[in-house]
Amino acid sequence: MVLDLLASGLVFSSIIVLGSIGLSLIYSIANFANFAHGDTMTVGAYAAFVTFGAVGGLGFGILGLPLGFFVALLVGIVAAAVVAVVTEKIVYDGMNAGSIELLITSIGIAFIYRAIIQMGFGADFTRFDVQTLRPIEALLPYGVRVTLHDVAIVVSAIILVGSLHALLQYTDLGRKMRAMADNPDLARVSGIRTDRVKLWTWIIGAGLAGSGGVFLGLYNQLSPRMGFNLLLLIFAAVILGGIGSVYGAMLGGFLIGVINQLTPVLSDIRFLTEMGAMLPLVPDSFGIVIGIEYANAIAFVIMVAVLLVRPNGIAGEAV
Amino acid sequence: MTEPVLELTHVDSGYGEVQVLDDLTLHLNPEEIVCLIGPNGAGKSTVLKTAFGMLTPWEGSVTYHGDEIGGMAPEDIVREGIGYVPQTDNVFGSLTIEENLRMGGVARESGLDDVIDRLYERFPLLDEKRSANASTLSGGQRQVLAFARALVMEPDVLLIDEPSAGLAPNTADEVFGHVQAVNDLETAILMVEQNATKGLGISDRGYVLDQGTVRFEDEASALLDNDDVSKLYLGG
Repeated sequence: MVLDLLASGLVFSSIIVLGSIGLSLIYSIANFANFAHGDTMTVGAYAAFVTFGAVGGLGFGILGLPLGFFVALLVGIVAAAVVAVVTEKIVYDGMNAGSIELLITSIGIAFIYRAIIQMGFGADFTRFDVQTLRPIEALLPYGVRVTLHDVAIVVSAIILVGSLHALLQYTDLGRKMRAMADNPDLARVSGIRTDRVKLWTWIIGAGLAGSGGVFLGLYNQLSPRMGFNLLLLIFAAVILGGIGSVYGAMLGGFLIGVINQLTPVLSDIRFLTEMGAMLPLVPDSFGIVIGIEYANAIAFVIMVAVLLVRPNGIAGEAV
Repeated sequence: MTEPVLELTHVDSGYGEVQVLDDLTLHLNPEEIVCLIGPNGAGKSTVLKTAFGMLTPWEGSVTYHGDEIGGMAPEDIVREGIGYVPQTDNVFGSLTIEENLRMGGVARESGLDDVIDRLYERFPLLDEKRSANASTLSGGQRQVLAFARALVMEPDVLLIDEPSAGLAPNTADEVFGHVQAVNDLETAILMVEQNATKGLGISDRGYVLDQGTVRFEDEASALLDNDDVSKLYLGG
């Protein structure tokens, strides 16, 4: 069972990581916690949903997904990026406000995105019109039940995260992004056109969020609240990894995703307490069963525990 | 008489509502080192920030080679030929030495590799640590990297904010040696320095600032010998 949970943890992690990177990038470069980030994922998912409905399968498929789905994925990424950039230009950039004001504004923006989607598609769940797949036969003997779609999500996330890594390390734009995240004042002093770098950051961060939304829709289903429901976990991932560190966000996203999916393991554990044996009215074996409804809470408990040891997160600078 | 490269004329400036500079006038001639000294809060760093576009002058003008640059953005002023070395946080700690130097040259149109190679020759300690993160450098080494980053643009004016801040005395001496070496490249330097005696010691001229305006200006050696300056500002 643990292997199966680890596998689904990996798939869920892929989605969390795609969301975490953008939240962290925008936090470090635009300097505020963007509460509309989860709903940006929803925008991507629905844009892909509409596109997939329009273009259909387009013939041959890869990893159990028709080519049309990948076209829809691309549109979802672009739509999320465009919506985020337009919002940045019209709302955030024009406000000339501090990070708290921007944070609160972004909560409002999140409501607007969600309301518009709900007006267009209703509040009900819906799904991508792709064939439901059976788990991969070869993995069943190991107790692992994953479909080719799950594999597609993980592979796509690895490609996207790998591309981002290459961009950050080996391109001029990537170095400027890291420089600006490190020290925005020094970036300007060095002659970096920070406005342009910021714009690219929105495009990349929101684009990745859009892809995460599409995969979340494929993994689960689509609903206007899908992204928002994931936002707290994404925040936990970013904080766990170290706010403002992109690589920390990747690591944090991975850990939070896996921990979240591993929670069912805890429902089997019984803690034997010495207290129980010593006290007259308490049974010798004193069990605590943690149900999966606590999955998010567990992820947060672990986040808090890590922050007690490393207050700036795993990848954050030591204090 | 030579025309100044950088000139602040009757400048008022400050942060938000708080005025720091009050009718301040000073200039920097080609190839000279000028040191700004004065008590804390006199506005020394504010002069550099106003000259470099991080603050917009409320009144008065800032000119570079006779052209007005007051209120221009720092990223544009860099392209004009002025460099700035902040007092603190003056390197990108999470970037390598090489990347720090590349960031210093983002505004260059050509010759970036050549100028970085020359800087490695001039500062061998950077050459040895090209691919190390800047956060691994000691305080004095960071200061050298901060100079080098600003020099990638080959500016003819370099503004340096307290190069010796937080450094041990012998490390500070090394850093002052680097300031002189940079000046030998025909770069004029306007420097703020807390350690007035050492700062003036390597300078051609100096200004004593107090409460946002110039109290004394003279040859550096004359300021060091001036009884009033020494009694009021040099702790002697």
